[in-house]
Amino acid sequence: MRAGPAKSVDALGTWCPVPIQLLAAVIAKLPTGAVVELLADDPLIEVDLPAWCHDEGHTLVAITRDPSDDTVFRSYVRRL
Amino acid sequence: MSGPVYLDHASAWPVDPRVAEAMAEALSWGWASPDALHGWARRPADTLEQARAEVATLVGAAPESVIFTSGPHEARALAIMGTRPQSGEGIVTTAAEHPATLAICRSAARDAGGPTIVGVDTEGRVRPDALAAALTGDTRLVCLTAAQPEIGTLQDLPSLIAAIRERSSTAVIHVDAGDAIGLCPIDMTTLDADLVTIGGSTLGAPAWTGALIVRPGTRLTPLIGGGAQEHGKRGGPVNVPAALGLGRAAALTAAERTARISHVAALDGLLVDGLLGIPDVRLNGPRHGRLPGIVQVSLGWVEAQSAVLALAADGVACSAGSACTAVTRKAAPILEAIGLEPPWTHSAVLFSLGPTNTADEIERSLTTIRTRVLALRQASPIAPR
Repeated sequence: MRAGPAKSVDALGTWCPVPIQLLAAVIAKLPTGAVVELLADDPLIEVDLPAWCHDEGHTLVAITRDPSDDTVFRSYVRRL
Repeated sequence: MSGPVYLDHASAWPVDPRVAEAMAEALSWGWASPDALHGWARRPADTLEQARAEVATLVGAAPESVIFTSGPHEARALAIMGTRPQSGEGIVTTAAEHPATLAICRSAARDAGGPTIVGVDTEGRVRPDALAAALTGDTRLVCLTAAQPEIGTLQDLPSLIAAIRERSSTAVIHVDAGDAIGLCPIDMTTLDADLVTIGGSTLGAPAWTGALIVRPGTRLTPLIGGGAQEHGKRGGPVNVPAALGLGRAAALTAAERTARISHVAALDGLLVDGLLGIPDVRLNGPRHGRLPGIVQVSLGWVEAQSAVLALAADGVACSAGSACTAVTRKAAPILEAIGLEPPWTHSAVLFSLGPTNTADEIERSLTTIRTRVLALRQASPIAPR
């Protein structure tokens, strides 16, 4: 599933709620089932992203720390 | 001499009338927030994205790489401060940089004891091996200018960047084309840079327009946070008319730059030949391998401010040494870096040309410059007799 996301959102260096706002703007323009990658270094993303996916009905496919930089969270969300 | 001649493009180019007209018209509808969901937002939103695409095309980047700023100064600050060197990480830059870049690097690297500044040769060039030698495993950011803004020396960016990449795979590379992009093409499809600063002035847009181009995946902390505008990298309402102006100017430049470069280079040659025909005048920077239209000369035994004021009275607009240090009357750092000493540092005058200048203007200016310089030398207490 992680291979070939339809779009990648670079939210590095931004803080809550901006990463979710950036992701929401991108995912709204994609078809159902499309997967979006989110790069973020706001630690709150571990809380915000599952909550937002739950509220919006999207599927949180994965949320992991980047192996090359453990301050970066690499997440994948499938659109409702 | 009839009619004033503007030879101070280093401080600001005149705005292209086609750009000015489009921007003025946009003030009547560009006020609406492009992020809103109603009809008023549609045109600003479409305009913003078209401008983003036009700027991106000019530098060979993806539209989402473009962050609009209030000019090249903010773009430089965003690149340097936004890269945020952490404790123990350093910044490497060069003596050829814009004075603003050097100042921001000093601020950003304060905790690390200041940036490492790589020297230049007598014509303002940075050597790749000297740059590579300055890098360490802890180097976070390397700042390079495409062209020295006061003496115009063009840097060999591909060789410099290759030297950096060979030494460090993690350093972020910022290329400053803020004062050069209009006459110095930058193509990010081949230039291995992470961040590129561009400014509107040399494109024919106002000097208070610009952008930072950010390669996807480059970690950048916004200077102005708290908003999702500009991909979260610059919060707050976007200046739609300014973005439109920058985009329109970028598109015009893409179509006309080759002709502009030829025209300005021809005038540059005419001006340099004429200036060097005045006794004891020396060109600061290289004769070749220089950004067209940046002609800085030391006038020899003539105080620069006196020459600039005298020439202004005669209708020739230029600046003392550097457009940015003209007010402080201090020797520009680049002149000391190339080994120039007083009185040559303090007799340095910058004549900077643009596409709207003409050969007739250059000829008329040279007559005025020669007359004024020789007269000022007669009055100079330090001129040899």
